[in-house]
Amino acid sequence: MKKLTRRKVLKRLGAAAALPIAAPFLNLAHAQGASIPIGVALPFTGNAGAYGPDMAEAAKRTAAKINSAGGILGGRKLELFIEDSESSASVAANLSQKFINVHKCQALVGYWGTPEGMSSRPIAVQNKVVLMVSSAANAITEGDTQGYVWRFQMKATDWGIVIGRAVQRLGFKNIGIMGLQNAFVLPIMKTVEDQMKTAGRTVTGSLIYNPEQPSYRAEVERIFGKKPEAVCCFGLLPDFVSIMKEVYRGGFDSKVIALSIMADAEGKFIEAVGPQVAEGIRHFQPMPDTSAPGYKKFLKLMGAPDDRVYLFPPNTHDQIAVVAMAMEKAKSPMAVDWSKQIIPVCNGPGQNIDDVVDALKLIRAGKPVNFSGAGSTCDFTPNGDQLGRGMGHWIIQGGKNVFVEYAKP
Amino acid sequence: MISFLILISTVVCFSAILALALNFQWGLGGMVNFGMAGLYALGTYSCALLMLKGGANTFFATLGAMAIVAAACGVIALVTLRVTEEDYFAIVTLGVGEMLRLVALNEDWLTKGALGLTGIPRPLGDVIAPEYYQYFLLGLSVALLAGTVWFLNVIARSPFGRIMRALREDDVVAATLGKHVLWARVRIFAIGGAIIGLAGSLHGFYYQYIDPTQFSNIVIAYAFMAVIAGGRGAHQGVIWGAAVVMVLLEGSRFMKDLIPVLDSDQLAAIRIIIIGIGLILLLVFRPQGFMREYRLQVNFK
Repeated sequence: MKKLTRRKVLKRLGAAAALPIAAPFLNLAHAQGASIPIGVALPFTGNAGAYGPDMAEAAKRTAAKINSAGGILGGRKLELFIEDSESSASVAANLSQKFINVHKCQALVGYWGTPEGMSSRPIAVQNKVVLMVSSAANAITEGDTQGYVWRFQMKATDWGIVIGRAVQRLGFKNIGIMGLQNAFVLPIMKTVEDQMKTAGRTVTGSLIYNPEQPSYRAEVERIFGKKPEAVCCFGLLPDFVSIMKEVYRGGFDSKVIALSIMADAEGKFIEAVGPQVAEGIRHFQPMPDTSAPGYKKFLKLMGAPDDRVYLFPPNTHDQIAVVAMAMEKAKSPMAVDWSKQIIPVCNGPGQNIDDVVDALKLIRAGKPVNFSGAGSTCDFTPNGDQLGRGMGHWIIQGGKNVFVEYAKP
Repeated sequence: MISFLILISTVVCFSAILALALNFQWGLGGMVNFGMAGLYALGTYSCALLMLKGGANTFFATLGAMAIVAAACGVIALVTLRVTEEDYFAIVTLGVGEMLRLVALNEDWLTKGALGLTGIPRPLGDVIAPEYYQYFLLGLSVALLAGTVWFLNVIARSPFGRIMRALREDDVVAATLGKHVLWARVRIFAIGGAIIGLAGSLHGFYYQYIDPTQFSNIVIAYAFMAVIAGGRGAHQGVIWGAAVVMVLLEGSRFMKDLIPVLDSDQLAAIRIIIIGIGLILLLVFRPQGFMREYRLQVNFK
């Protein structure tokens, strides 16, 4: 074997390191052309990995639709940079830096989950770039965001309002509440608990549990052991799977109320626990109004059957659409200019319209529009919270999700 | 692009400092530390809280964080090694690390729990204009990295460094020669802890937002990868190890721009595979790491 000296090793290392570093330079001409770069951070791996692929597809199809209709700002095309956020805060922060500094993006979209949104928020505000998140925690839009942070999702307290109201209507006199230690779960828990107490119902017990425990036996005993009529459990898929196995094993018969990202998760929950354990669980999740024409157009765009319910991809569609419309209205690709046009194109006043290409035509003709998207009516408060999105309510029967109702806060 | 390289180099610097701490404790001193992630979180949170709640400036907050992690490490080593052997020590570090992470996650009044701490001040943050700040932070990180290497090299070549290597190879022999094994180990672990505190402080300065998810056990894996790739015991080698791990992690994202047929979700999976293959190849062709531990050599002619 040839002798390896430090110099040889350093040379080889240098060559190996140069390849990935040189890659973006090789691509530079491409990025600096007439196209408008948009950074899309989505979870393809990690605990939210199930949601990334469809959201990416929605982003691509929306951008392609806008591009094939002539693009924006006099024929410039949207160019998407889609990356894996690994469901992690630090990865999302590094990605935001890459989008801003390497690809010169003025719009960062996607950002499923609170940690991803929270870690990228200071970067977006500092660089004066718009960040559009799909995260629920109230803190995302609290404080001074200077108009750069926009939430394409219901705020967590609103989830609590809808769920609390449904629990009361279902006639449960006493409930137990358990929730994952997580920034978006805590406001939901608190709202449900407050609502139950104001309505004169009893909360038999409430606890916060930690993620990634091998077993939740003690937690399950404490909440289900008091035999409440129903238990509201808020968290994510992995913890809910172990919790429901414990509940089944312990023979508890309280009704279970959860979120769809736990009890459905694109079918992964029933697959993991089997239909017997899942029977009778009710689950809630913010969803698009499936009867809205904007949503129906979105299904066509995705080439999906009429009864398909997409939870997050319609928001990704709306994010790209709003970026395009606001840029067109501001006649500028710079976020300092177009971030101020987000409310005018989304909230109106103007002609009601649900198709991004038609909306762009009207904006070019100098007419005011009021855009309604695929995921919601796309109306915002001045600090960037989304209004007008409702929640779906399902019950699992015979291993299938049966739709119950759609409600707004 | 240059800005991105500067930012990633900053990440390499504080990852390298963290890896150096592990190299000092484990590579030189033979004390396995599976609680890195929790201790790293302790450093980051201590520094941030000393500034946000204690009103300290960034310099004293960093020193404070180093002292807190050093003290925590000293106590762990003292309490555990008095009564048990090394194998159990590894288990204790694992437990303590997890405990610290759970405290950060659950003590809302102090750490704001899962929501995390925002608006962490940066050294000279209000003096230096934001557009130049990244250059300053990189300069600071490089200087601290160089300082750490220098400091660790001095220790490694001192009599204490020889005690460390003796303990790593065989502590009974060292004890027979009259060395105080427990006291030496407490010092090794505490010095490593201070360096973890330094890396943690830089982590906070860089991200300006910290939450418990940033301190998952993958932090330990990356640190061990850097040490093994760099060469156990070799300080300069470990810097190369940390750089290679980071280039594999972040550089592999650019493959998509080179190979347009790759889809984003395919790339997400392929990246992890490539990182694994890279490390396997490294261990096959260079099992001792990039560099060798320092050894005193004298030439007689």
